[in-house]
Amino acid sequence: MTTRKVRLGLGTLAVITASTVALLGAPATAVDRGGAADPELSRAAYAQIEGTGSTWSELIVQQWIADVDSNGMKVVYTGGGSSKGRKDFAQNSTDFAISEIPYQGVDEQGNADTSNGREYAYLPIVAGGTAFTYQLKIGDQLVRNLRLSGETITKIFTNQITNWNDPAIAADNNGRAFPSLPITPVVRSDGSGTTAQFTTWMDKEYPSLWRAFYGKAGLTSYYPREGRAVGQAGSDQVMNTIAGFAGNGTIGYVEYSYPVNKDYPVVKVLNKGGYFVEPTDYNVAVALTKAKINQDKSSPLYLTQILDEVYRHPDPRAYPISSYSYMVIPTGATDQRMTTAKRQTLADFMYYSLCAGQTKAGPYGYSPLPLNLVKAGFEQIAKLKTADPAVDLTDRDVTQCNNPTFDGKNLANNLLAETAPQPAACDKAGEGPCGTETGTNTPSTDDGSATPEVTVETPGAPTPGTDPGTGVPAPPDGGAPAVDPDTGEVVVAAGTTTGEQAPDFAAPTELASGRPVDTSTFGWVAALLLVALVLLPGVMVSSFRRRAKASPR
Amino acid sequence: MLAALVAAFAPASASPSATDDRVIDNVTGRASSSFTATKALTRVFENADGTTYEFPTNTVTVSASETENLRGRQRITISWTGAQPSGGRASNPYGEKGLQQEYPVVILQCRGRDDASLPPEKQVRPETCWTASVAQRSQIARSEAEATWTHDRLATPADKERVSGMVPFPTKETCPTADQDPFFTRLTPFVASSGKTFKTYEACDSTRMAPEAAVDAAFPPAEIAAFTDSDGAGSVEYEVRSDVENESLGCNHKVECSIVVIPINGLSCDKPAEPATIADSACRKGGRFAPGSSNFSNEGVDQAVSPALWWSASNWANRFSIPVTFGLPPDTCDILDPRPPTGFYGSELLAQASLQWSPAYCLDKKRFKFQHNQMSDEAGWNLMESGGGAAAIVSSKHQRRGDDPVGYAPTAVTGFSIGYVIDRPDNAGEFTDLRLNARLIAKLMTQSYLGSDLGRGHPGIGDNPLGIMNDPEFIALNPGLSQISQEAGAALLSLSNSSDVIEQLTDYIAHDNAAMDFVNGKPDRWGMKVNPSYKKIKLPRTEWPLLDDFIPETENECRQNNPAVYFTQLAAPVTALRKIAEALLDGWPNVQTRCEVDLGTGGYKLGRVDRQSFGARFMLGVVSLGDVERYGLRSASLETSSGDYVAPSDESLAAAVALAKQEKDDEPFVLDQGEVRKSGKAYPGTMIVYTAAKLASLPAEDAAKVAQFIRVATTEGQRTGTGNGELPAGFLPIKKSGVTAKLYDEAQRVAAAVEKQAPTPTAAPSSDTPPPDGGGGTTVTSVPSSAPSADLPSVAPTATASAAPTESPATEPVAMPETQAVSSDLGGRLLPGLLVLGLLGVALASAVRFFVQPPPGPRP
Repeated sequence: MTTRKVRLGLGTLAVITASTVALLGAPATAVDRGGAADPELSRAAYAQIEGTGSTWSELIVQQWIADVDSNGMKVVYTGGGSSKGRKDFAQNSTDFAISEIPYQGVDEQGNADTSNGREYAYLPIVAGGTAFTYQLKIGDQLVRNLRLSGETITKIFTNQITNWNDPAIAADNNGRAFPSLPITPVVRSDGSGTTAQFTTWMDKEYPSLWRAFYGKAGLTSYYPREGRAVGQAGSDQVMNTIAGFAGNGTIGYVEYSYPVNKDYPVVKVLNKGGYFVEPTDYNVAVALTKAKINQDKSSPLYLTQILDEVYRHPDPRAYPISSYSYMVIPTGATDQRMTTAKRQTLADFMYYSLCAGQTKAGPYGYSPLPLNLVKAGFEQIAKLKTADPAVDLTDRDVTQCNNPTFDGKNLANNLLAETAPQPAACDKAGEGPCGTETGTNTPSTDDGSATPEVTVETPGAPTPGTDPGTGVPAPPDGGAPAVDPDTGEVVVAAGTTTGEQAPDFAAPTELASGRPVDTSTFGWVAALLLVALVLLPGVMVSSFRRRAKASPR
Repeated sequence: MLAALVAAFAPASASPSATDDRVIDNVTGRASSSFTATKALTRVFENADGTTYEFPTNTVTVSASETENLRGRQRITISWTGAQPSGGRASNPYGEKGLQQEYPVVILQCRGRDDASLPPEKQVRPETCWTASVAQRSQIARSEAEATWTHDRLATPADKERVSGMVPFPTKETCPTADQDPFFTRLTPFVASSGKTFKTYEACDSTRMAPEAAVDAAFPPAEIAAFTDSDGAGSVEYEVRSDVENESLGCNHKVECSIVVIPINGLSCDKPAEPATIADSACRKGGRFAPGSSNFSNEGVDQAVSPALWWSASNWANRFSIPVTFGLPPDTCDILDPRPPTGFYGSELLAQASLQWSPAYCLDKKRFKFQHNQMSDEAGWNLMESGGGAAAIVSSKHQRRGDDPVGYAPTAVTGFSIGYVIDRPDNAGEFTDLRLNARLIAKLMTQSYLGSDLGRGHPGIGDNPLGIMNDPEFIALNPGLSQISQEAGAALLSLSNSSDVIEQLTDYIAHDNAAMDFVNGKPDRWGMKVNPSYKKIKLPRTEWPLLDDFIPETENECRQNNPAVYFTQLAAPVTALRKIAEALLDGWPNVQTRCEVDLGTGGYKLGRVDRQSFGARFMLGVVSLGDVERYGLRSASLETSSGDYVAPSDESLAAAVALAKQEKDDEPFVLDQGEVRKSGKAYPGTMIVYTAAKLASLPAEDAAKVAQFIRVATTEGQRTGTGNGELPAGFLPIKKSGVTAKLYDEAQRVAAAVEKQAPTPTAAPSSDTPPPDGGGGTTVTSVPSSAPSADLPSVAPTATASAAPTESPATEPVAMPETQAVSSDLGGRLLPGLLVLGLLGVALASAVRFFVQPPPGPRP
């Protein structure tokens, strides 16, 4: 955990320094606003804005709302699901909506899913990985390092793989077999953006599996539950079902922040780079550098996310099922619910969220938006000023942005790509599996040298002089072994480990001897036998003697 | 006599400075009443012969708890006596949902004052009163039977026209549906204020409303058609709105506003035609619902006694105008402030204080930009230890995983409570003095109530009560409540993740013998048993697990298709205390047992049950004291020593603080629940919130910020009030003297220690300083269960074995639990059992053979 935060901190520090310098150079910005003759006029006039929508992103949105309270901005957000968010916005009940998917034209139930003529724009607000959290016990122990390929996941959720002992699951885990236990997929029963994101990915990547199951092509917000699968309303309930005592054998999909909050394991998913990775903020952010905004104005999906290349990003760090949530903002000049003060609040709330608000994405289990998406966001915010020239957007742009993923002063410099740790060698397909636990919001990596904490722990590490921010990868086989930041154990880098690991997986079935109950019972039996072994001969001898004495009688 | 109104305004009793001379209990936030007025209201019918008929007069007294220096979204208590009892209670009385009721009390916020000496634009009138929907303001295209306002005895001739309300009346282009002969229409336009200009919204359809108006919006309406009980009394917590929440209404420190309270007493009617028209008789209707009855199916009501015509002359004449003033808006931080915020991570208990405190930091150039990121205590602690956060906000001692010492600085005294919303039967108002003991809480948490018939099949506890309202122990403690079972009565809405609140709540249970006897399997004296899944659960604990696995067998096809653990669906814990507070506020239990056809897929789906109806609410949840005050919730009194029930208040929190002890410096104070029980005065839910920070290897810059925060929070941050930097209600102020003095002293000491930072042996190149102990090869700092296989060394695969013997790092990519067959107790014990049996047999045979002397007898 330390690893990332400290590096993040240093990254931010660089930005701060830069902006402080900028401030000294141009002191007018802040001072003018505070020091005008009438303090009331100098403050941006805010009016409360309200919205509904996604629960996927709700955890961090609520924190942002608490943060901007000190700026005088009042924002009300009540969740309720993406489908509700889009509907409320269309009915002019709200000032904004948050949704993972765009207006669909017609929804699954055949009802209209449009903005009802209200002018709007999509604005990315936070990224995250749709995580697969599960409860799988071997004996009494919770498996915390399960790995699955996209195909296996799709087959599980389309009821084609129904038991944890399936060979496909063993193959994903480099031969490690799991006990025979039926798989119970837990899906969302309400109209959910999380479901939409997951089914979009299946539809794009495994169309033959998904479409055969769903009966048609495309995404859905309402999962077509079948067979053993159970449906639960809301991410909290999915988490409760999986983590409950009766949850052994379950697997479900939620935003990564939910298992992180609960300290519960998630599946490491195979990416196109050949590594099994967890949806940490870094892995999601790397994947989303490939996200595109649809710029085709004739498309009904104008301005929405195109994630095809995210799913297929060959970077070994990329988490495939990464996506972002976006806000639907009203852009009409005559919008019935909009006033200058409300537009200003929307603009400044988004300015905070896209910039400084992204710093806390990581700790909350989300991922900061990378540069391309922040830029796209500012383009959408600008439409508020187009609609109403009185909106003040001065100095609210990418260069003033306190976002941890890039340096506002040098936009070409992608801090994120430089600092995101490479996956551990044992996370590679055909290697490992790594013993590192998932769901702890900590990267699984061999990049020991990038971790100040690790340099501390391992005096022998060759990195005291290295700038921790640059993330130099550990030497593959130097005198100084890399230390896994999770376990504190030294991980030998790729190439040197395979030979040693092999025997481990040659016999993955030395099973029954591992039962704790056996250990104790047989222990007692052994002790008894030992006692008998020692005592019986003596007893026999003495007894024989006694009998010998008696016999003359 | 004409109007039959005797206005007897008592002078408002508020003193000029609202807080100075009144004693306010900061934990409960209660202040003395500051507005009271009395009026006599009489409904009068004019007869055809010119005589009048007068109904008995209702002498109504209205009071408001606070009227001055209000801030946006503050809740003030408005109560009344002497009103006509209401009938046909709606399940939700707010906004347009409250219209189908009879004789309610309509409460609205309006711009302006009831003072004839003021210029017209500063006077309160229906056009300056806010409503969120058209239906609350205007009557569009009504038939004659629904046009009773045209026969209002006090209405002007213009108001009795077929279309009225605006001159000139809007055109067809503006309001296409408004003027449709022969139907009647009455518009009550809304006049919005934006500084000096006024804009009029016709309110003839939803597009002709102010920007803030909407039906089913995320921000619920505040205006209410409140219910009067059969004694003529009632009360509501009314949320006022400043111009930030409602720009069009525009109330602020310069623009004066009023809360208008209109007890609906029935329209007074003018002289009827001969023969009486349909409208004449409609005006004379007196209601079709009996007093105290409910109208949950939202049936139509008699318009003449409904809240929809609050603007009609005879209703409007019955108004009470409570003048209110708003305080200066707090200064706010600049969004362009280039200083990055410094994040403190942790407990939600501090949330309401943090909101008020943070502007006091960013507005001061000498201070840093404080941000409180709310998350579980444990997650915040881990971030603090790993260097991800400057400090953690926690409220108990946490396990240290690193080498750096950590100091706990007391920052606030607050706590949790069992919040509740319970309506008394027959619409007799809310229940206000709930008492609970540890055993009742244990029964709820161990999921020992059955919820409904579905739970009766649960092995071992099939005879338990369905809900707490059916439990004889609860009934004896809280008599007079409805005993109609609700699934929500089987649940205490609580947190799903780890929290210091859960630890203290379960510690309270652990110190109660009766509760622990119950948990350990002893039935209570009415025969209720603990759910076997939770029997002998170890307490206290920081996270409450979901241990039940009972899936009811039922004929219900929907449930057959969605087999779910029923008791888990009842408990349905959530991730944040704020969500629990909101669920209580909405009267919307988080019970997830609703099973219905899913229109989208044609299958079935599970979901959250409906909101409870006003008059039938029953819900319990764990909430923070800050939220209790912020949202105006109610807190249960908890039993301490036998028969003593203690509610959270300044006094009871202080009594608990007096009991809290600190073992050694830098550590948190410990509140022994055993002593709390003995004292009988201390509130068991009292919690001290600490700022926890490292005393070594914290970067100097962060150390200075944390020290500053502790010092400011324990001095200026403990002044009670609603302004920037002040301590909100729900917190006991920490002072230099009195019981909290020890907290104050400790906070100052820790602040100094944090600022100083223990010297470190080496200067590291990185910002993170190495701990003093740099020696060991593998100092594990952050993950306690780093080697899962270490628990079972004897059976671990080879790689683990090779890692085990040496301190030095070994190749250990695999720490997966060992693959093994599904464990079976029988299989595990059968073979060794047989072996032992055989061994015993051998031993016995030997013994018999050799020790037992054969009876002396003739040898062959």
